[in-house]
Amino acid sequence: MLLRESSNALDQVVDLVGTIRGDVDSGVPHGELLAAYAEAAHDNPETARQLDGRMLAEVGPGGLVDAAATVAIFNGLVRSADAIGIPLDKHVMERTDDERETLGLNDFSGSANSGSDI
Amino acid sequence: MRFFCSGACLEQRLETGPSTCNTRLAMMDSFSKDSFAHPVDEKILLAFENTWHGLGQPGTWWTGKQRLAIVEASRLAMAAGQRPIGTAIPALSNIDQTDAGGVSDLVLEVIQRVTAESGRITGVWAAEAIDLMGPGLYAELVALVVLTVPIDIFCGLLGRPRQPLPMVVAGETVGEAPEGVAEGGAYIPWLVDGWKGPNVARALSYVPADNARRMAMVSSMYDGEEFYEMVWRHRSLSRPQIELIAARTSALNECFY
Repeated sequence: MLLRESSNALDQVVDLVGTIRGDVDSGVPHGELLAAYAEAAHDNPETARQLDGRMLAEVGPGGLVDAAATVAIFNGLVRSADAIGIPLDKHVMERTDDERETLGLNDFSGSANSGSDI
Repeated sequence: MRFFCSGACLEQRLETGPSTCNTRLAMMDSFSKDSFAHPVDEKILLAFENTWHGLGQPGTWWTGKQRLAIVEASRLAMAAGQRPIGTAIPALSNIDQTDAGGVSDLVLEVIQRVTAESGRITGVWAAEAIDLMGPGLYAELVALVVLTVPIDIFCGLLGRPRQPLPMVVAGETVGEAPEGVAEGGAYIPWLVDGWKGPNVARALSYVPADNARRMAMVSSMYDGEEFYEMVWRHRSLSRPQIELIAARTSALNECFY
């Protein structure tokens, strides 16, 4: 998981459960707000824009643009993965056994489209 | 004047002077900086510009007119959202495949699924769609959806109106599969010989020009070509913050990859 590895690189401790449950603190700075932004954006852009004030105050205009860009491009990537059946890369599959089990990712509907390429 | 490549040479960079690339075209600035309320990285704007310019051009398999019809239908599907569970949906093989000047009902159904219900795609469904449409038309349809959905979402999140579609550019499609693609574990053939990158980068290599545009968008909006660096300095947010948003978005879409 790139969240875990990139956090380790910054000596930050994260709880990966926070990526799938909004009620769990991920430990990422401003993580609660950023996760809420992603959830609101999943509903519709107007809902997310209600968080613009907090976003600008806490992470600034650059942070807001980064967040919007990330939500947007991953909405393309998830559709690519599901529609093309992109197999999870071998090295990722091998390194994420525990996380996938703990987070319940193997039960996601998309797991049928992205099984291992091992 | 700024120039950019139309996609045929798979380059995408700013140029400030004459170019030897005969496919390089004058930038139209559809996505000008001034059209956003907040500063947006020029690489993102350039990627959007390049993508938008390519939408109305003949593709590998679809004509410019058909490509724009697909994007228009995808926008409608995005606005309508998922159909409620229990909605009667005919089998793909029972849907009219007649192209009445735009795209067929079959194509519209595939657009609906890929755009608004991708979490419900199964291997069986994809195999049937690809069997009926052919891998080229299917791959390019997916490419058009995943090129335009992120741009529309990004604009919406930043309070910018959606960009009007470009004009149709007449011309012939490429009409043949690129060299080096073969069956390799995905639903459609992709680059296989000597491939060393992540699978996501070759996902749509069956339609190379659109795949190049897609990966340029991924680079500009996500990793900035620093995917293997765990500490990012090219973003306002830290990499863990970016990855948290990415993971949450993927989880909300029940995406395993």
